[in-house]
Amino acid sequence: MALLQISEPGESSAPHQRRLAVGIDLGTTNSLVASVRSGEAICLPDERGRSLLPSVVHYDGNQVLVGYEARALQAVDPLNTIASVKRLMGRGQEDVTRLANVVPHEFVAAEASTVPRIRTAGGDFSAVEISGEILKCLAQRAEQSLGGGPEGVVITVPAYFDDAQRQATRDAARFAGLNLFRLLNEPTAAAVAYGLDQDADGLIAVYDLGGGTFDISILRLNKGVFEVLATGGDSSLGGDDMDHALGEWIVEQAGFSDIDAVLARKILIAARSAKEQLSHGDSATISIDHAQPWQAEIERAQFSDLIEPLVRKTLSACRRALRDAGIDKQEIAEVVMVGGSTRVPLVQTMVGDFFGRKPMCELDPDQVVALGASIQADILAGNKPDSDMLLLDVLPLSLGIETMGGLCEKIIERNTAIPVARAQEFTTFKDGQTAMSIHVVQGERELVSDCRSLARFELRGFPPMVAGAARIRVTYQVDADGLMSVTAEETTSGVAADIVVKPSYGLTDQEIETMLRASMDHAREDIEARMLREQQVEARRVIEAIDAALVQDGEALLSESELSAIRLKRNELEERLESAGSDELKQLIKAVEQVSETYVARRMNASVRQALAGKQIDEVDV
Amino acid sequence: MQSPELSLDYFELFGLNPVFDIDPILLNAAQQRLQASHHPDRHVGSNEQDKRLSVQIASRVNQAYETLRDPVKRSRYLLEINGATLPDDSATTADTEFLMEQIELREAVEACRQGEDALARSEAIETRLEQRAAGLAREFVERFEAGRFDEAIESSRKMQFVQRIQQQLDELQFELEDF
Repeated sequence: MALLQISEPGESSAPHQRRLAVGIDLGTTNSLVASVRSGEAICLPDERGRSLLPSVVHYDGNQVLVGYEARALQAVDPLNTIASVKRLMGRGQEDVTRLANVVPHEFVAAEASTVPRIRTAGGDFSAVEISGEILKCLAQRAEQSLGGGPEGVVITVPAYFDDAQRQATRDAARFAGLNLFRLLNEPTAAAVAYGLDQDADGLIAVYDLGGGTFDISILRLNKGVFEVLATGGDSSLGGDDMDHALGEWIVEQAGFSDIDAVLARKILIAARSAKEQLSHGDSATISIDHAQPWQAEIERAQFSDLIEPLVRKTLSACRRALRDAGIDKQEIAEVVMVGGSTRVPLVQTMVGDFFGRKPMCELDPDQVVALGASIQADILAGNKPDSDMLLLDVLPLSLGIETMGGLCEKIIERNTAIPVARAQEFTTFKDGQTAMSIHVVQGERELVSDCRSLARFELRGFPPMVAGAARIRVTYQVDADGLMSVTAEETTSGVAADIVVKPSYGLTDQEIETMLRASMDHAREDIEARMLREQQVEARRVIEAIDAALVQDGEALLSESELSAIRLKRNELEERLESAGSDELKQLIKAVEQVSETYVARRMNASVRQALAGKQIDEVDV
Repeated sequence: MQSPELSLDYFELFGLNPVFDIDPILLNAAQQRLQASHHPDRHVGSNEQDKRLSVQIASRVNQAYETLRDPVKRSRYLLEINGATLPDDSATTADTEFLMEQIELREAVEACRQGEDALARSEAIETRLEQRAAGLAREFVERFEAGRFDEAIESSRKMQFVQRIQQQLDELQFELEDF
């Protein structure tokens, strides 16, 4: 093999054609982008060498700031600075109202939309758009350091994310103009980052305590295939809660009252800083710079007492996941630690005690997920054709439909391997009924009101029949990303129903289109303008060529009707030349070319005949 | 054009003999082999039609795996592909003696919640249930292989009863162990 790789002298060997692909960890507190370069996964740093990008976005009237610059404005301009937006993904108006005392923002209901917007000086924005800004920023970073835009991305989500939250993440990728290869569960990505696919087969627990979410996943590794046996966790439990617990302690100790948004920020920032200090030291100093300045010492043991209930809550979720997987904790071969909050010593100790083994925390717990995502992206891009690695996932929460009396009938159980499809048959209960509605929910509870509403599907257009005669087969399909779609067919007639999806907490396709158009940045406008100019030039060329040809031999070669058909299309093109967009012009040009096909062929033949006339066979260069 | 993966029965799809006693190792190996070639991740660069097909096939493989892995579902599926008409899930058994035993077992599980040695007592019931399930499985195989489908359906149904109590016990043991 080596012989073939030797290059000619003076000629550098052609670089292996790799398709650029990146993995993105779109985190609650921080986000990262990573890529596999020369066979090694690395997090891509910004121009100042920092790989973390704080998941904070600041809007003012003129510009959008993302990352450190935005985070720096948190304390001074909290209303226009959005942090932890991941918590708002796939959430509705009622959910954010519940968050009203946690976040300082003003939420506004957008017209004809189920998705709340945050009011800022720069306008009203949904969580999808705000996350999209973070993605754009990371994609830009990737483009700069890789020397080209990525062809595809893998974005990680907590394994616990429901359908609406996954859809929202997918929509954010779309908003950012990224080609999404796959949504990957964060814990699976972590196991991949540790290269456990190279290890002996066995069971792995991934304990992921991030800023805003906790996930526990039980994976089985078998000859390079990772199979998620069970996932569990809490989509609103994380390091932020530790900050809040400590924040409450500060408020109590300092005796603060009248806490406005600015002070609340300061308290949380001080709490976070103390938490980070306590990961290394035995005590930390907390100081709040305020009209009523305050300073105090806190011991690690005190902090541990404050957060112990939170850690216990995570272990309870671990037990449930183990049980769902049908295994004992003694069977776990490795415990992988993920998320910045696993730096907290109490977390490491309690998790170690629970599983009876030392957890793996050699890799930077903030980077692990992005690194794993980039390895998966590299494989999906086709850069590693020999890789056996395959990540099989399960549905994190049961899918059900609403039945009589507001009860939930499970269609697909939690922890079912995905992709998966289930079909159900319904019939009509009225003569001539041509439509029906299905309310799909996600969750484990009996009552629909206790589950998460996903969407209402209106099925229309099946043929009218006598009541009870129609057989409507509804198929619920969950894809490999955990996203659900519904199709329906009346089986006796084979007529497919039209389906109108009304997402309960998601953006409709229409809304995303509108946002995309609104966000179309200058670069894109330039591209569109250039494409239009190119098409206009092409259109003029086509018109001139046709005119010239028709003058020459149009009447000789074409019948009256053929001639008028070509003129008709040519005139249509000329009429729309200045006003049409590039797509329409392209179509019109095509129409002229199509209608003149026969004419062009005849002209070719005629000119060939003319060229050949009077020549000897041997002069013709065949 | 129909892909064979979408029309084969589950046993054919997994390359297994259509019998009740299947080798779980072969089943797992076949599951992984099939997913390795049909999972959508293996078709990221393909055209839309191929992508859709891979989602369909991978879904079917998962559905088949789930059916074959579970003894009750497997027994019902075996009967189904052999032309037996299965009454729906909710049908009950007419064997009153069996039903009495089930009620007694259910009460024994509930009783575990009270008193000392809850876990030890629950483990005794667990063993008893496992033996019962194994006996019913043997009975099913005997009846099924003799072509006595109606009786085999009865065994399958009883297996389902026992499985439900096992799940109930499992839930209880989890609660007992949880802190």
